[in-house]
Amino acid sequence: MMPIWTKSGEKHAVTLLKVQDCHVLRYISKEESGGKTSKLLVGGKNASPFFKSESAMEIFKEAGVPRKQKVSMFNVTDDAIIKPGTPLYAAHFRPGQFVDVTAKTIGKGFQGVMKRWGFKGQPASHGQTKTHRRPGAISTNKAAKVYPGKKMPGKMGNIYRTSYGLKVWRINTKHDIIYVNGSVPGHTNCLVKVKDSKLPTYKDCNKNPPFPTFFADGDEKLPEDLYDDEVFQFTDPSVTYA
Amino acid sequence: RVSSDGKPEKFQPPPKPVIIDKQKQKEERRFLSPEFIPPRGRTDPLKFYIERKDMIQRRRVFNIPEFYVGHVLAVTTADPHANEKTSRFVGICIQRGGKGLGATFVLRNVIEDQGVEICYELYNPRIQAIEVLKLEKRLDDNLMYLRDALPEYSTFDVNMKPVSRLDHEEVPVNKLQVRMKPKPWSKRWERPKYNIKGIKFELPESKMKAAQKWSQPWLEFDMLREYDTSKLEDKIWREVREGLKN
Repeated sequence: MMPIWTKSGEKHAVTLLKVQDCHVLRYISKEESGGKTSKLLVGGKNASPFFKSESAMEIFKEAGVPRKQKVSMFNVTDDAIIKPGTPLYAAHFRPGQFVDVTAKTIGKGFQGVMKRWGFKGQPASHGQTKTHRRPGAISTNKAAKVYPGKKMPGKMGNIYRTSYGLKVWRINTKHDIIYVNGSVPGHTNCLVKVKDSKLPTYKDCNKNPPFPTFFADGDEKLPEDLYDDEVFQFTDPSVTYA
Repeated sequence: RVSSDGKPEKFQPPPKPVIIDKQKQKEERRFLSPEFIPPRGRTDPLKFYIERKDMIQRRRVFNIPEFYVGHVLAVTTADPHANEKTSRFVGICIQRGGKGLGATFVLRNVIEDQGVEICYELYNPRIQAIEVLKLEKRLDDNLMYLRDALPEYSTFDVNMKPVSRLDHEEVPVNKLQVRMKPKPWSKRWERPKYNIKGIKFELPESKMKAAQKWSQPWLEFDMLREYDTSKLEDKIWREVREGLKN
């Protein structure tokens, strides 16, 4: 995470996400998947091919791509289908866009009810016998049962969570890095899924995105760093208020 | 003098003395700002490389002078609410923290009997100028104890003129021992974990001996805490010098 300053002098914290060897693996049509839109399987970060069974490696062999550590599905419209085997780059996103980031949260192991659900516990003194971090009552008398889904101690973390509506401030095309506003679930160097935002406020924020994706061997030559309009670039002199 | 064959020998001038200029021979004094050294952790070195590129870019446009804890600095920042849109603050640097772009330094001064500390970010674009007014290192890396010292040690004239100094000299170390206000202090500075050498403790011997109870003499031999940064520093210093040359 890094600070980033705007032209008006405000500071924002930014997370760096690296797009590491992402390839499109397979196209699943609408009828095959049974959903409302067709899907594309995308894999990221190369991994060793020796520790998986032959059947699992079939998808990678078909696409002609080394085995990927993380494979995720994206819903795409029919005009945005990409051929399996094309590499995907960070320039697929543009500064000023809004993005949702999904990842597995940091695993905390078996945790009690105060840390896991934020219960208040009991006082430390004034006669409490062996009861300081316990949940207290778990149901009422009339119910005569404990409702399913009652908040109780258990394994915390290591589940998929999403942060919605994160602004993209800057893109580095040389190293394939996306600078995303705020924090992102997951530990450092964990694998993360980045999608266009589904929030209704940011539905029309993306003007002229590279459609269907940014092709490195195409005609478009991008500069090494793409900045949002408001970002203070370090090549400029210091900020002054006239 | 008469040589062996009788003729007077041709005058041989004495050999020219070879002047060894010790100053030029001494290696150019290396200074790498502490925020360039990455902390120990599992982060990808690529992240530090990218941050360093940004830091070098900022240093090319705006000069951040070499300074240590104990220097007296004057910082002018752009302030939207001030009269001339700039505000200038003079103070002694008591602490340098943070790594990378978020590096900070805290300046302390006593203005009209009120102690004021301001934490500035080195790479904040609102900073217009940083001037070093007085160069002197102190005996410690962290001068937070000035909060509990007598106010005369933290007062610096706001209109102080910069003290001139030669470039190649070593940064002078001020071995000043500061006198403290009566206890209680904000932190127990006599304890060995702070390792403060710049205070003149006027406490009784029994109190000083009792404070040594909290000493942890095994810490300096703990091998897991060792973090040898010499090679990293070398590489980074070369990179920074290349970046700042042009």
